[in-house]
Amino acid sequence: MSQPTEIHSLAGAFALDALSEFERAAFVRHVAECSACEFEVSELRETASRLGDLAWEAPPARLRDAVFAEVARTRQVPVGRAPVEPREVKAVTRWRRWTAAAVAAGVVALGGIATVWVVQEQRVGDVRAQADQLRRDQARIAAVLAAGDVKINSGTVPGGGNMTVAISRGLDDGVIMLDGLRSPGADNAYELWLVTAGGPTSVGVLDPGTGQGTALLDSIGSASAVAVSREKAGGSTTGTPTVVVSTVAL
Amino acid sequence: MGVTTRAGRGDPAWTGPEHVPMGPDELLRQVARGDEQAFRSLYSMIAPRVYGLARRVLRDPAQAEEVAQEALVEVWRTAARFDSAKGSATSWVLTIAHRRAVDRVRSAQAGAERERRVAAASGQTPYDDVVEEVTASLEQQQVRRCLQGLTDLQREAITLAYYSGFTYREVAEKLDTALPTIKTRMRDGLIRLRDCLGVEVSPAPAGPGSVRR
Repeated sequence: MSQPTEIHSLAGAFALDALSEFERAAFVRHVAECSACEFEVSELRETASRLGDLAWEAPPARLRDAVFAEVARTRQVPVGRAPVEPREVKAVTRWRRWTAAAVAAGVVALGGIATVWVVQEQRVGDVRAQADQLRRDQARIAAVLAAGDVKINSGTVPGGGNMTVAISRGLDDGVIMLDGLRSPGADNAYELWLVTAGGPTSVGVLDPGTGQGTALLDSIGSASAVAVSREKAGGSTTGTPTVVVSTVAL
Repeated sequence: MGVTTRAGRGDPAWTGPEHVPMGPDELLRQVARGDEQAFRSLYSMIAPRVYGLARRVLRDPAQAEEVAQEALVEVWRTAARFDSAKGSATSWVLTIAHRRAVDRVRSAQAGAERERRVAAASGQTPYDDVVEEVTASLEQQQVRRCLQGLTDLQREAITLAYYSGFTYREVAEKLDTALPTIKTRMRDGLIRLRDCLGVEVSPAPAGPGSVRR
């Protein structure tokens, strides 16, 4: 337990909360003295939390009331404790990581390093934007599913798979999920529609050849059903469904 | 990503970020400033995961409810300690919830502990008996797929620890495997999961309080 390398091998167990109190305390001390470890631990913790996605379960409604009541009479710890310093440390760590990668790749000329830096920044920015988008979508989906008035309808799609729609009239928000549909063919795509008295409105086109996906409904209004159609890749060009595969009433 | 579809033709769902509610990170920052309304929005997003995780670890619904309540109030109370440079708000919240659930399950050792061991040892892989329902969002599918990409030992070690709250020593005992092997599998299994899920923790692009993009 006293060897630095040995204690570092506990990073996984730490991230999973699988250490005894004693080992945990020792590990926390170790991380405090090792900024590279801190970075790894942050990522492993983030990873472990993703396992929580599989445990999703709607809580009883009284939990909401109990939590809000307690929150209303609970004082918060004050803002302004140590947010700046760790961020700077982290930035240095990350920079070192990139520099190390650049050197390893044989890019040692100064200009070369600068280029790698810019490219990496760009790529990280793109990935982050995508991840943000995904998280926002996920947060909206979770909000719909957690809504008190959520209504869920599901139908099987001829040829295999399911279309499920969850809506909250209160939030005026909803989500359509397609799962396990037969591939429409590499040049075709499934398109999702919201059906109102005025006709169908497209709410999303899946990637070509894909039989699963999710589309968010921004407004449900007076819609009576959702539908999925098969289209040429990229979706219907006429504004109406070409071949309706299945519909689910709301 | 290719998971969430993107509609064209000016569909209102995709016209821009002004229609999108705030994500957990921004909400949590507002919660830290005492915004109860932000906390209510955050609650809607995270409570099912907090409760579900507590339920998974503790199994008993009443205890899970208690632990979820404690964890969510702790989120409110200590929101100022959230540092987005160390990870996402969702992860921060789930870390609090998981820790509390694990503490509870370990302190409740004695009789319940024996039952739990028996239940967990009865042959089911822990993550398999998670209820399949519409909540099988794409993120969940991705986690499942990535779990399948682990070796059996990595997967068992990780799921026994995370979903049942066993220490790595208990996991080693249960799986009849040497202690150093188990801690190594937990670490390299999580590293493989991290790479499969594309998890990346990076400092905020422009200092504290900055908004995405």
